[in-house]
Amino acid sequence: MRNHVIRTTQSAIAASLLLIIAGVMIPASAWSLDQHTWTDGQKAILRSLWIGSLGPLPVDPSNRYSDNPKAAALGRKLFFEDHFSGNMKVSCATCHREDYSFTDNLPLSHGMDTTPRRSMPLIGVAYNSWFFWDGRTDSLWSQALGPIENKLEHGISRTMSAYIISKYYREEYESLFGPIPEITEEKWPQEARPAQDDPNALKAWVLMTPVQREAVNRIYVNMGKAIAAFVRTIMPQPSPFDRYVEKILSGENITKRMALTNDEIAGLRLFIGKAKCTNCHNGPMFTNSDFHNLGLPQKGKGGPDKGRSAAITQVLSNEFNCLSQYSDAQANECSELRFIDTSGKKYEGAFKTPTLRNVTERPPYMHAGQFTTVHEVLEFYRSQAQNPELGHGDLTDQELGQIEAFLHALSSPISSLQAEKK
Amino acid sequence: MKRILFVGAALFFLMTGCAAQEKQTGGQMEGMAEEHGHGDAKVTKHFDDSLTKLTENSLYSLELVVPDKYLKMGVNTVEIIVHHATGGDVAQAEVTVTPWMPSMGHGVMQKPVITERGGGLYSAGNVVLSMTGHWQMKVKVDKDGKADTAVFDFPEVKAMGHEHAMMHAPPPKDLDYSTMKMTANDAFNVMYKSVGGQIRINRIHSWELTIKNAAGQPVNDAKITVVGDMPEHGHGLPTQPEVSKLGTGGLYRVDGMKFTMPGWWIITVSVMANGVHDSVSFNLNIL
Repeated sequence: MRNHVIRTTQSAIAASLLLIIAGVMIPASAWSLDQHTWTDGQKAILRSLWIGSLGPLPVDPSNRYSDNPKAAALGRKLFFEDHFSGNMKVSCATCHREDYSFTDNLPLSHGMDTTPRRSMPLIGVAYNSWFFWDGRTDSLWSQALGPIENKLEHGISRTMSAYIISKYYREEYESLFGPIPEITEEKWPQEARPAQDDPNALKAWVLMTPVQREAVNRIYVNMGKAIAAFVRTIMPQPSPFDRYVEKILSGENITKRMALTNDEIAGLRLFIGKAKCTNCHNGPMFTNSDFHNLGLPQKGKGGPDKGRSAAITQVLSNEFNCLSQYSDAQANECSELRFIDTSGKKYEGAFKTPTLRNVTERPPYMHAGQFTTVHEVLEFYRSQAQNPELGHGDLTDQELGQIEAFLHALSSPISSLQAEKK
Repeated sequence: MKRILFVGAALFFLMTGCAAQEKQTGGQMEGMAEEHGHGDAKVTKHFDDSLTKLTENSLYSLELVVPDKYLKMGVNTVEIIVHHATGGDVAQAEVTVTPWMPSMGHGVMQKPVITERGGGLYSAGNVVLSMTGHWQMKVKVDKDGKADTAVFDFPEVKAMGHEHAMMHAPPPKDLDYSTMKMTANDAFNVMYKSVGGQIRINRIHSWELTIKNAAGQPVNDAKITVVGDMPEHGHGLPTQPEVSKLGTGGLYRVDGMKFTMPGWWIITVSVMANGVHDSVSFNLNIL
């Protein structure tokens, strides 16, 4: 916050200095006209990036509870619940911190242990087609279930999750999803899950009866659907950029308060023009939700991260995907899965374009926290000028700084469903 | 002191070694051009990593230089060196390059542009391959009425790996954005329409195709494939669309269309009906 104030002051000084210079050189009216004049084509792009073009939250046909306020209220509690972890200390909010744009400040996230990738920001996440950096799930609810059984993240099982729900959230759960079958710790093993990485948990899982497994899966799935109903409410608010575009589109005068700084406007012009940032960071969430290989340095343990190419079979075979028995969707509503591009080679080492909303508020950057500052990210893009996928034009140092300034103008408060006041 | 002398000597050898090698390589190229100029009986390759082929009637020997040795989906440029079968470069010939997909039975919409560079070297630009798979490149050489052809085979044209995506074809000016066109060999008339009006970026949507034959009669029971390509980036659609028939009247529905980048896209619709294969490419500007 202090940084922000300093930045604003500096920008204001810079702006006033420029105004003085401009006042000497040319009439002020001509200057301001030039600064805020956008062609119809540019206005169309500005409108496409404007938060006003976001539209209502997309319907998730696979989750009939996605817009149920009671489900979202339960989901909020589950999101912050430390019990869902092997050490009773890790919740979803550990790596998706409410005070840090719903991500964390680590290059590689740390739940029970250090994971191979950075935590994703959750702002406006419901507008995505695919979830996780590699899109290995096709819905927010199936995404929410992945980390629970991941040893490096929450590190518990679905049987334990079902037990916790039955013990601590029974009333809220049952009012939404119906009665919970009788669950006792004696009858159902605590650490049973269809795990590839834990033979004991797998053995415990297959020794359960099909009826038991089905009962546990139902509770587990409903838990994911409730969490998703909450996560959907995490939304960006209008940023200085949005307020500026609103004024431009309505043809109103740009009052000093509403205007972006000179650098921010210059950065915006580069962003939608020469620097071609909108190739991937397009639409009101500033992402195409698609996968790209940027040739980033490998980080973390293990071999090369295959990214999207490895996730294609994972999402197709996911027991909780849109076409599964646990989905509420009709088969023809699962468009993304139906038309998924299965060419693995094309997506080797490719990761999802993240949103740029609030981007300057949440370093570090890239899928494995390869860069600590936005400036480093922009420098990296500039160094990739030969790659048409990444070619951002021949940018000068000053232009790089202007793009960075513009990215600051994409920050806004975040709204999300708040806990009921007692 | 001894050591310094030794290092100095080693450096000297290294430097002269490199220079000698460089000279040799340069000399090789020049020497060969001369060799052909004098009409040697033996055909010597100009480039180490080129593909060579004798034309069908053994009139010419063709050398094809493809960047990175393989063609890619998207826009390619290749170099062709035309030699007489008996040796010697063939200048001022009429060279045509026709990319062809044997399994799909179609070629390309964009015509490759041939430029003669002298010394038997011709460059073929704008070789736009609309999809991945098995491609052939037919090269025809006509010198003073003596025509002959050779077919180069590329069994596996792939989408460009991002790290190899070096090609960048900006949209030509005055692109034809019409939504109704005849196919390349005038066999069919194809019209497309986005269901639900204007195409919106990042949204899965559907198209409707209306296909008629040259006489204007609706073509039902056609086998249709739809492929998207972004020549500026060398990659295709992020989805695999599916085509289904919508009753009679030559109407078809394409589900699963999605554009995740603004700019110039080429959508190629291949139609196979009554034993005829033909295709058409539509240009789109996605905002």
